[in-house]
Amino acid sequence: MNAPNELAAVAGSARRVPTYCYQCVAGPDLLTVKVVDGIATEVEPNFCAAGIHPGHGKVCVKAYGLVQKTYHPNRVSSPMKRTNPRKGRHEDPGFVPISWDEALSIVADKLNAIRAQGLLDESGYPRVAASFGGAGTPQAYMGTFPAFLAAFGPMDMGFGSGQGVKCYHSEHLYGEYWHRAFIVAPDTPRTEYIISCGMNIEASGGVAGVARHADARIRGLKRVQVEPHLSVTGACSAEWIPIRPKTDAAFLFALMHVMLAAPRERLDIAFLAGHTASPYLVGPHGYFLRDPASRKPLLHDTRSGAAAPFDAPGATPALEGRYEADAIEIGPDDEVLAQGRLQGTTAFTLYAEHMAQYTPEWAQGVCEVPAATIRRIANEYLDHARVGETIVVDGVTLPFRPVAVTLGKTVNNGWGGYECVWARTMLAALVGALEVPGGTIGTTVRLNRTYNDRHKSVKAGLDGFMDYPLNPTDKARWKPKPNIRNAYRTMVPLAADGPWSQALGPTHFSWMFLDETPKGLPRVTLPDLWIVYRTNPAISFWDTPGLQEKMARFPFVVAFAFTRDETNHYADILLPEAGDLESLQLIRIGGTKYVEQFWDHAGFALRQPVVAPEGDVRDFTDIATELARRCGLTDKYVDAINRGIACVPLKVAGHDFSLPANQSPSCEAVWDAVCKAASAEVSEGREVHGLDWWREHGTMTHPYSQVEWFLYPTLERMNLRFELPYQERLQRVGAELGRRLHEHDMRWWDTQLLEYRALPEWHDFPGLWDEALRDAGAEPSDYPLWLLTARSMQYAWGGNMAMQLMKEVADNVTGHRGVIVNASTARRLGIEDGDEIELSVPHRTTRGRAVVREGIRPDTLLAIGQFEHWVTPFAKDIGNASLNSLAAMSLKLTDSTGSGCDVVRVRLARAGAKS
Amino acid sequence: MTRWAMVADLRRCVGCQTCTAACRHANATPPGVQWRRVLDVEVGEFPDVKRVFLPVGCQHCDEPPCLDVCPTTATRKRDDGIVTVDYDLCLGCGYCAVACPYQARHRTPRAVFAYGGAPAKHEAKRHDPARIAVATKCTFCVERIDSGTAQGLTPGVDPEATPACVNSCLSGALAFGDLDDPGSNVSQLLRENRHFRMHAELGTGPGFYYLWDKALPEAAQ
Amino acid sequence: MTIAYAYGPNPWPQSFWDARAAANFVCGGAGAGLVVAAALSGARGTALVVPLLAGLAIVACGLAAVFAEIGRPLRAANVVRNPATSWMTREAIVAPLLFACGVAGAFGSLAFVATAAALALAFVYCQGRMVHAARGIPAWRAPQVPWLFVATGMAEGLGLWLALAAFLELRSARVAGWLGVAIIARYVIFRIYRRGLGRALAAAPARALDAAGRALLWGGTLAPLVLLAIAAAVRTQPWAPWLLLAAGLCAALFGAWLKATLVLRAGHTQGYTLPALPVRGTRA
Repeated sequence: MNAPNELAAVAGSARRVPTYCYQCVAGPDLLTVKVVDGIATEVEPNFCAAGIHPGHGKVCVKAYGLVQKTYHPNRVSSPMKRTNPRKGRHEDPGFVPISWDEALSIVADKLNAIRAQGLLDESGYPRVAASFGGAGTPQAYMGTFPAFLAAFGPMDMGFGSGQGVKCYHSEHLYGEYWHRAFIVAPDTPRTEYIISCGMNIEASGGVAGVARHADARIRGLKRVQVEPHLSVTGACSAEWIPIRPKTDAAFLFALMHVMLAAPRERLDIAFLAGHTASPYLVGPHGYFLRDPASRKPLLHDTRSGAAAPFDAPGATPALEGRYEADAIEIGPDDEVLAQGRLQGTTAFTLYAEHMAQYTPEWAQGVCEVPAATIRRIANEYLDHARVGETIVVDGVTLPFRPVAVTLGKTVNNGWGGYECVWARTMLAALVGALEVPGGTIGTTVRLNRTYNDRHKSVKAGLDGFMDYPLNPTDKARWKPKPNIRNAYRTMVPLAADGPWSQALGPTHFSWMFLDETPKGLPRVTLPDLWIVYRTNPAISFWDTPGLQEKMARFPFVVAFAFTRDETNHYADILLPEAGDLESLQLIRIGGTKYVEQFWDHAGFALRQPVVAPEGDVRDFTDIATELARRCGLTDKYVDAINRGIACVPLKVAGHDFSLPANQSPSCEAVWDAVCKAASAEVSEGREVHGLDWWREHGTMTHPYSQVEWFLYPTLERMNLRFELPYQERLQRVGAELGRRLHEHDMRWWDTQLLEYRALPEWHDFPGLWDEALRDAGAEPSDYPLWLLTARSMQYAWGGNMAMQLMKEVADNVTGHRGVIVNASTARRLGIEDGDEIELSVPHRTTRGRAVVREGIRPDTLLAIGQFEHWVTPFAKDIGNASLNSLAAMSLKLTDSTGSGCDVVRVRLARAGAKS
Repeated sequence: MTRWAMVADLRRCVGCQTCTAACRHANATPPGVQWRRVLDVEVGEFPDVKRVFLPVGCQHCDEPPCLDVCPTTATRKRDDGIVTVDYDLCLGCGYCAVACPYQARHRTPRAVFAYGGAPAKHEAKRHDPARIAVATKCTFCVERIDSGTAQGLTPGVDPEATPACVNSCLSGALAFGDLDDPGSNVSQLLRENRHFRMHAELGTGPGFYYLWDKALPEAAQ
Repeated sequence: MTIAYAYGPNPWPQSFWDARAAANFVCGGAGAGLVVAAALSGARGTALVVPLLAGLAIVACGLAAVFAEIGRPLRAANVVRNPATSWMTREAIVAPLLFACGVAGAFGSLAFVATAAALALAFVYCQGRMVHAARGIPAWRAPQVPWLFVATGMAEGLGLWLALAAFLELRSARVAGWLGVAIIARYVIFRIYRRGLGRALAAAPARALDAAGRALLWGGTLAPLVLLAIAAAVRTQPWAPWLLLAAGLCAALFGAWLKATLVLRAGHTQGYTLPALPVRGTRA
């Protein structure tokens, strides 16, 4: 167990206060804030945490904005109410300050009226909706509000603010499906070779990502960055390969082709045969051949020369070939497709034969990467894979396969995402580099439980694979009526049905379907009350002008507000919560967590009021407690806290710190109890520390073995296989879903259903954008350039657009002052660096400045970050173009997981130039 | 003797600007005044392009051009190599700024605050009128070094005695230490890696080294 | 509020010395040159006093301009604290001596006139060395810069003297001859200087400097030489002094233009260069 030493005293009236920053998904970072005479002045790393933190205790650049954030002159400093009933972009909301009592009364009255009316509306959708910023980070700031949400009952959390289209959507769903990898990372400290297709780890991997990769580079890691532009990550890589946008699947398929054409001994045959479904026999209809009695999938046992169930003791499975077996082949809805003496082909043989068509020469024509380069990279990958070697980690001998493939946004979501994620996982599986040291590994789970331990989420399922909570598609259990507006449970089996699933459905559908609900779904309605926190979908989602128009129709919006912004412009009530440095909360840290947070420790960290709150703001926990009281939900609210919704169950390891359910607890009482329970958990009951101890020490952890980073040992122990390469189950699910939808005369999802393929195929993914342009009545050649976006490390998440310091430092990084244009393209169009330019899609145009660079493909433009603010103070004067106002929400560009990706075809011209 | 020096490993730096922000915090410089900053440099033509992140700032030269030109003796060089500015002597002529080949000097004619107008609380707390209209630049966080060494701490090793940019650096690109101590971290880094100094041809002898590759085998021995 | 930043890696225009500093160099050179011209002219009485005082006044104007630029004018006296190495200090020390001797020469002993001329030369040399010591600016730190400053200062001062001569009806043949020598020397030094810079200059300062160089050749060198030659040929004509005036003004104005260009438009920093690129993770 580790608790940092007492923080070094600083001179005079100054002191250093430990806290955390979790503004972005790559956190938390542990920091101290220097406070002089009660004023926060400096952010520093918590040097005491250097020994426990995977980024050596450093603090991301964004955290340095927290001081400016605390004292921002444009903070909303008291509750406000709207006085202008008309809502619209050009309507002044007429916000006037009100007391907390009045504000909470208004909100509670609304909520109570809704409760009285019924929590679901006539369409069956929750009357209350809530949108929070991405990836769960707001939960690290909203205190006990989740307890209030749990006490309240059904809410629609599916109005996205970018989730689904701006996350690693296919990676989340398939990654968790195949290897409990909601996010995938290389085992960076040990890997030697990474193929990174657009993964911008140096900008999005946070402190841990940056530190781990820097150490690896010095160690000699070779990373090949495959991406249309020379990103920060491309810059830091050994090699940059400027691939054509949205063709990564072709590149990855060709890599597999080369590897499959290599001598078999270069692959990890033992891994494929013993730890994947490669030897499973596939019948003539494309489904596994099964034992007629047990219905277990069959493989061919080379020892007996006959078929055997996959788990037959002592069987030596044939990896390749075609074999006959007495079997049954079962299709969708338990249909028996064939039975008797059937010919089966091993899944691996089908896979290898399937990949034969994807030669490097073919791929070169698609993705514009030379075939020789593809061959070289595939062979380098094989050369580094060290098939057959082992390594000792914390005393445990494990396979050592120091090669990894990572995918970035727009590669691992939207159309083509399935193919890329599958190819990435198969590239690992081919050399046994999946979930082993040095290889491609998962970070955490969000669709399976428990969140804090992905090993515990591994449960034996059917057919020798891990269980997965797919939304049912069989006739008896499929739910034609969605529980929320984005219909994830109805349309997306892989989204599962847990607390995170709502945000992992097609969250743009909630917005799209407000205007026109497609056939078969209950009419999508406006929520009676919408709660917004740490998110600004009016800027951060797509079709932002259209979104804003819809927001104006929302009858009642409650926005927790730091400053005024483009979303709370449509709010009825603004509630200013105490800020990052003003409020109290304990969170879990350590273990393994995205993006590259692989710790040797696990435990908890406290965020505490570093300074007195500015203005009439309230701690989120106090707000939640008071709302619960006014809604008559205190008992349920306290019960949720006692059960652990606020970080940790209060009854733990021989101690019971539960709060009395019949009274509203103070903020300090809640977190004191949580702190005590957390310290008891970390110390296995030996130590109990209250809030005061935590205020002083900030964190408390215990060692966490690196063996826990890898899922392979758990699967091996449980005798489970990775569900690769052949996607029999998904094929079945897709077929069943199609039947269910057609039974309800829903045919608008037919294209998406085609994605449920047992062996993913290349499709002309870039061509989809041509089709979308034609559908919009435009000629694709008039919009020849691919507009992409990329993470701004300095701005991303946390409301940093209003921070002068963030703009100042971000401007040092190319692309933060405009749209990056290739120099030859700029010359052709008569554009010079700094010129004002116009980006157009059919029926919409936006403006920005040209940043002329060589490090981008001539057919590609890059607009970093998300801009075009018109309310947010400071941000509204930046004047950068944003992809979001040009990107349309489109069913056509939505894949079967309900995801799209940040790609827009545009026309570029110098502003004012004649087209 | 002691010669404080900084080392920036260009292989590690990712251009995140955390050092820039940390320096702004530690030294309470006004908006736009970045004593430490990281440049984003592009070399070559598509598709053969490299992009390099280059931390820059005062190089604390052996022969500082700013020192010789300063008419007031406000600029001085300490025995440990740190080049300082006496804000009470400086008349703000800007001569040192044009003399510096590293563009490391700044002059803010009047008080500037992040959001214009009045200073925010933290800005008011730390605003130093002595630094208005005079030359300012990176000091290697000399106060930290002095107070740290007075406490027996080692700059470059103990955070309390180490420049803020080095403390903050996410990638471990920045290192600080005593060049005259062969056992210091910077001496070791320079032994083990190939390096250059910016504009070495000018003979200024920068106390700021850029690492770009590991040492050739024979050099490392 | 938008805050503008100007940082590399590419060379960018220095922003510390603006038109006020340029005025100091333009006026300092021309004024000092005028003092020297007054001494060289051998004139006496009004013909000496007027150019001499005018030269001092021009130098004073330059110093006043730069005084307006410094951040802490109340500490201006600190400028003299570093005579050991700072050419700005030396300029500041020479300046009052120049004024004292100049005034003494104008109203007292003629012996001070020669001293004033020597101090004027010293003053303009200090300015040249001052710019030369600004090693952050490639166009300034070239070894020819001090001599270029001396030559331009003399050419401009002599040119101004000739312009004044037209009004004061002075005998000007000797000074005209010196001007011819000065403008030729100035252009020759400029060419050597420019060739020495070679490609060390970024595109923008090179363009600016070359444009000013062309102007110097045609307007500041050839034109005054032709005018001087014609004036010599027609020296008996009543309008001959006007040719000298035109020659003098051309010499002075195009020289001033060059100097202002050098400070304001060619004053780009060196930027940053990478003698080696980082090897990130592996050798290609």
